[in-house]
Amino acid sequence: MSEPKEPNAPIDAAKSVTEGRRPETVHSDSGRKPEMVVPKGRIMPREDRLAPPAWEGGRSVAPNADGFSTIGKRNRKVEGLAKVTGRAVYADDITLPRMLHAKLLRSIHAHARIVSIDASAALAMPGVHAVITGKDLPVYFGIIPWTEDEQALCETKARYVGDAIAAVAADSELIAEEALRCIRVQYEVLPAVIDIDSALEHPEWQVNEKAETGNISKQVRLEFGAVDAALANSDEVVEGHYWYEGSTHAPIEPHCCVAEFDATGFLTVHSSTQVAHYLHRDLAKVLGLPTQRVRVIQPTVGGAFGGKSEPFSLEFCAAKLAMITGRPVKILYTREEVFYAHRGRHPMRLHYRTGISKDGMLTGTDAKVQIDGGAYSSFGLVTTYYSGQLLGAPYVLPTYRFDSTRVFTNKPCCGPKRGHGSVQPRFAFECQIDKLAERIGMDPIAVRRKNLIGESTRTVNGMRVTSNGFPQCLDAVEKASGWKDKFRRLPYGCGIGVAGSMYISGTNYCIYPNEMPQSAVQLKLDRSGRATVFSGCSDIGQGVDSVLAYIVCEELGLTLRDVRVVAADTDLTPVDLGSYSSRETFMVGNACLDAARHLREKIAATLAERWQCGKGEVVLANGVACCTSEPREKAMTVREAFQLAEAKHGTLGSVGWYQSPKLGGDYRGGTIGASPAYSFTAHVAEVECDPETGQVRVCDIWVAHDCGRALNPVTVEGQMEGSAYMGFAEAILETMEYKAAAPGHAFGLHHGPSLLDYRLPTSLDTPRLHSIIIESVDPEGPYGAKEAGEGPLHPSVPAIANAIHDALGIRCDALPFSPPSVLGMLRIGDARAAWEAARAGFHKTGAR
Amino acid sequence: MLTLPVFEWVRPQSLDEALAFFTQAPAESLWIAGGTDAVPNLKHRLHEPKRVISLAGVRELHYVREDDAGMHLGALLTLRELSEHARVRAEYPALAKAASLVASPQIRNMGTLGGNLCLDTRCTYYNQSYFWREALGFCLKKDGTKCHVVPQGKRCVAAHSSDVAPVLIALGAEVEIATPPAQAGGAASLRRIAVDTFFVGDGVHNNVLLPGELVTRLIIPAASRGLSAGYQKLRPRGAIDFPMLSVAAAGRTQAGAFTQLRIVVSALGAKPRVLGQLDALAVGKAADEAQFSAIAAAAYKQCHPLINVPYDHEWRHEMVPVFVKRVLRDAFPKG
Amino acid sequence: MDSTKTVCHLRVNGDAHTCAVTPGTTLLEALRYALALTGSKQGCDKGDCGACTVLIDSHPVLACITLAMACEGREIRTVEGLAAHGRPHPLQDAFDRTGGAQCGFCTPGVLMSAIALLERDPAPTREAIAQALSGNLCRCTGYTKIYEAVELAAKEMRERA
Ligand SMILES: Cc1cc2nc3c(=O)[nH]c(=O)nc-3n(C[C@H](O)[C@H](O)[C@H](O)COP(=O)(O)OP(=O)(O)OC[C@H]3O[C@@H](n4cnc5c(N)ncnc54)[C@H](O)[C@@H]3O)c2cc1C
Ligand code: SF4
Ligand code: FES
Ligand code: FES
Repeated sequence: MSEPKEPNAPIDAAKSVTEGRRPETVHSDSGRKPEMVVPKGRIMPREDRLAPPAWEGGRSVAPNADGFSTIGKRNRKVEGLAKVTGRAVYADDITLPRMLHAKLLRSIHAHARIVSIDASAALAMPGVHAVITGKDLPVYFGIIPWTEDEQALCETKARYVGDAIAAVAADSELIAEEALRCIRVQYEVLPAVIDIDSALEHPEWQVNEKAETGNISKQVRLEFGAVDAALANSDEVVEGHYWYEGSTHAPIEPHCCVAEFDATGFLTVHSSTQVAHYLHRDLAKVLGLPTQRVRVIQPTVGGAFGGKSEPFSLEFCAAKLAMITGRPVKILYTREEVFYAHRGRHPMRLHYRTGISKDGMLTGTDAKVQIDGGAYSSFGLVTTYYSGQLLGAPYVLPTYRFDSTRVFTNKPCCGPKRGHGSVQPRFAFECQIDKLAERIGMDPIAVRRKNLIGESTRTVNGMRVTSNGFPQCLDAVEKASGWKDKFRRLPYGCGIGVAGSMYISGTNYCIYPNEMPQSAVQLKLDRSGRATVFSGCSDIGQGVDSVLAYIVCEELGLTLRDVRVVAADTDLTPVDLGSYSSRETFMVGNACLDAARHLREKIAATLAERWQCGKGEVVLANGVACCTSEPREKAMTVREAFQLAEAKHGTLGSVGWYQSPKLGGDYRGGTIGASPAYSFTAHVAEVECDPETGQVRVCDIWVAHDCGRALNPVTVEGQMEGSAYMGFAEAILETMEYKAAAPGHAFGLHHGPSLLDYRLPTSLDTPRLHSIIIESVDPEGPYGAKEAGEGPLHPSVPAIANAIHDALGIRCDALPFSPPSVLGMLRIGDARAAWEAARAGFHKTGAR
Repeated sequence: MLTLPVFEWVRPQSLDEALAFFTQAPAESLWIAGGTDAVPNLKHRLHEPKRVISLAGVRELHYVREDDAGMHLGALLTLRELSEHARVRAEYPALAKAASLVASPQIRNMGTLGGNLCLDTRCTYYNQSYFWREALGFCLKKDGTKCHVVPQGKRCVAAHSSDVAPVLIALGAEVEIATPPAQAGGAASLRRIAVDTFFVGDGVHNNVLLPGELVTRLIIPAASRGLSAGYQKLRPRGAIDFPMLSVAAAGRTQAGAFTQLRIVVSALGAKPRVLGQLDALAVGKAADEAQFSAIAAAAYKQCHPLINVPYDHEWRHEMVPVFVKRVLRDAFPKG
Repeated sequence: MDSTKTVCHLRVNGDAHTCAVTPGTTLLEALRYALALTGSKQGCDKGDCGACTVLIDSHPVLACITLAMACEGREIRTVEGLAAHGRPHPLQDAFDRTGGAQCGFCTPGVLMSAIALLERDPAPTREAIAQALSGNLCRCTGYTKIYEAVELAAKEMRERA
């Protein structure tokens, strides 16, 4: 396999350099076109995109003159009581009359040609209703239209242990399982590659035939500014090799779906998905049904974190089996199967060189990244870009280059896990900064302050940054953690570390090219004084359904109990692209704000006319409408106001939608990482290490996060705490290990696909989490809000790594920081001397 | 869901009835007490019995009694009851501690003392689903012929993983075993052996119980009263996890010198290991840090963790002396 | 009725139920699929996560590794039994107010562990709460808001009593 050549000539910022594999459908014309060019025969992109309405005073201010009444309050969630009383309906809580249960047959080989499948014995078993194989569902699908390389059931070959091969529908799971054992599959075992090196060394052992060459899934090489010169002129350059271990989402709810096919030929699929819209499209495509004859309903979802953001075998198989049998079919993955479905964090090997000047200015970074993608593409094209597109921010990085290669391996497919693609480079980069700070004898927070990117600016790779509360985030964690009294001052074994990050609030393009809105809301008011919001958005526990309700309350003066939310049902709700890339609050929030504001304007105008006052004097809040100048005389219930408006305007309804402005760098891939708004986070972690065992106890994590405006501080804090927890888990405990090929051992078999062997932190392991909300009030976010769901994970791992360095003098450059690896590092060289040197160096320079 | 295989289920109400049930089909029956080990194993098809005999109704095995002979603990005591029992905590805090460190609160409410003692051995190549084991190649503990841990070996070396057993051994406890009438030749019989000799070094079946035999009680002899004891468990998380290494110690000192000492290390192989040479290494010597280190060094030589338990086995080997020292410091704080 | 099935009498939340089960039916399956009490959840089905936690005779146990037939004659409580007269239990209300439930999937199990704790210790320390919940994995919250919920409920329940 030929390694991509280093670009030798420095190239201007925001100019594309070289590209690896180019998808066939992409127009090969100049750099102007973004990667995601429309394949022929589809709607062509418009230069002048739909733009959201410009409201007087902007969208970040309260609609009522006297400030917010719902927004910013510690409110309940709309579905909260249903959840705590056990009434919320999750996919596996659905049981339909005559429902069958299906199970999937999975490959016991990491790589094998399927020579033949004989299912006759299984079919003959009493209680078995249907068996399907790859031939029944031959159409390829994939979340990214340029890399459709998956089939619901492998037709010709299996690519990892656990790849699905056949499905059986039976009266019960037990019968289906017994039937699976009667299916005879003849395999021709092929050589398998289970790590990056073997994938690159053996292009002839091709995992995925859709790869253009060998096992290369995607290559991206981008360079911004004169990196080599900048590094050559730096006072200090630090070189680091990092390993980011793979991990998985492990939502507590396993994937589940129920499919029904009615006598009119209409398919309904209830699935624990976070992307009902994409599932809708792919179901129609793979099953050969018109899209308008397919309905996808997302019931309450028991956690996802990116793990349910693509269609999976179960949905296609349940649907196909329902079509064949004419009966509802349920598939519930076992926990083990959830590990095979995976789509988790990509393992990445990162090689960084980063420069700094004596006075603490970052000069540039040269990054080479290898990414282990598993057997399929998933979002891999985007992952590969994300491995470098958010690299520098939230700091000014005047020059940088990244050269990233994603490879296919015979393992479950990696994909988007909370902080998709950018958590790994963040780890490497924040550790680099820590090392550079140490080199120049500066406090790591001070170095970060020196390089702040600021507001209303552009990064070197062309990302537009608007609101930015990162300086406040740093101040907050520094103060709350008592940093100044602790850094390089705690006793041996105890330490404190810092890291920062920036993350997107949605991206500015849709996964499949089109110029239609990315989020939409329909709002219906009725004369009972109630509002119902319809939206395709996907609540996976983060609270987006509630965000819609809060916005409607704020705009229309309702109380929470008077708002109903109908979401994620493709029959009832307008399209929203789903819960990924931290887009929901920002995008569907904006859509909802517009829908509600339209109606508010109507109602306010009606009341202003009735009360003979200015529209601006009309206040709608907490169920009451009044005029600010004469609040006693001129007042009525909101319900009466609705009735008045309905009488004047007819039935009250509205729509709102969001489509982001065109953003990003003017080069291929320049839209990836481009977002209408960025969130910012800083963490300080404090650890206590046991130098005798290597055990690291993370005692506290202080998280300060700029979410623009906290629409509900409770849910924002919840996202911050959950993110910090998940990052901590990746740092210390969680690994996706695969059995290697020792004699007699299986190849590429997950070492322990269970919640016993894959260890999620328990309450006793989890650090004390302290969340501090920073509000920068974004000009384009709904009431100024930005994301909070993924950003706050990013600094977790590097903050812990840096804290371990402060505690023990070792550099944890490879995840996880497990006791054996920490103890192993303590044995290399004189770690204690390094620890003492770090302190002495720091105190000598007087803690700049 | 993880399905359970088809089996017949019976729930005897007395010990005699239980033994009689088992006698009907000894090779094809399985006792189940709390079920916290047996049920997951059934789901993984590690056991495939025709009949499951629940002990939950045998209330007569549910007690803590004390008499001149010592403390008697019924086999059906739950681990929570054991860990919270005032007398157990007062007399044998290390035992209460070990019980309190098993798994999770829910499992301690379900799991029994007898079940903990008879807990199946564990191995990362074995405690997996049928599919997984098929993909790996079945091993000799179940359905296969070779061992993935010691490929050239003929014996299963799956790890003894009970938290409570090492402490019981260190305390010199005895186990009472009931033999069903048929096996005992007429009437049901009871025998008592030292817990130490209860275990055998075969991971397939790591105790001396014959089919149909039942653990009915544990006895901590009066002679063990006043022993200083400790227990240390190494595990990845603060709860749920089985021990990756466990060390129990019990002994006595007089004027700062050991008069008696027993140390048990487990999660190594099929059988808890009672450290040897302690009479020479400890008895008569000062119970101090220097001696703890010497004992720890001996433990390092005698214990050999294997690859079938989570985390690197060489690291676990290095943890043996660390944890031996810690347990000695716990048990003999004045040392 | 399926010939392999037998009748099982379960007392759940004070109600007497009869359902058909096989010896291999777990309590969790019986609750969820035979009695349509789907509040208790399944996250691993083998004892590792605590999502299926219910109370048997006031003690939290794992329904996924308990055989249904072994529960005859016992007093079973599930999340559905917490609310009384259509009003949420103070603990449930506290979870709703503090954000203790995000995706809500671990919540029924967490609630059952927590209620058992509050019934024996009306003023638990955070340490005691963490211990009591150590067999309930939550992937969403990082546990912080769960602690806050239990503390808030404990306080309000003490004030009421
Ligand atoms: C997630 C998880 C974590 C765990 N972690 C731990 C841990 O950290 N430490 C630990 O020690 N254990 C652990 N366990 C195992 C188990 O829960 C305990 O060992 C428990 O004490 C077993 O008791 P039981 O009554 O449930 O046994 P059962 O499952 O009922 O029985 C276990 C075995 O013993 C046999 N048996 C039971 N009672 C008797 C008797 N009286 N006489 C003869 N044979 C009998 C059964 O036939 C069966 O083979 C864990 C289990 C799970 C699911
Ligand atoms: S030690 Fe060997 S024989 Fe025993 S369970 Fe493990 S792999 Fe199987
Ligand atoms: S479902 Fe019972 S413990 Fe996980
Ligand atoms: S709230 Fe989602 S797992 Fe706990």
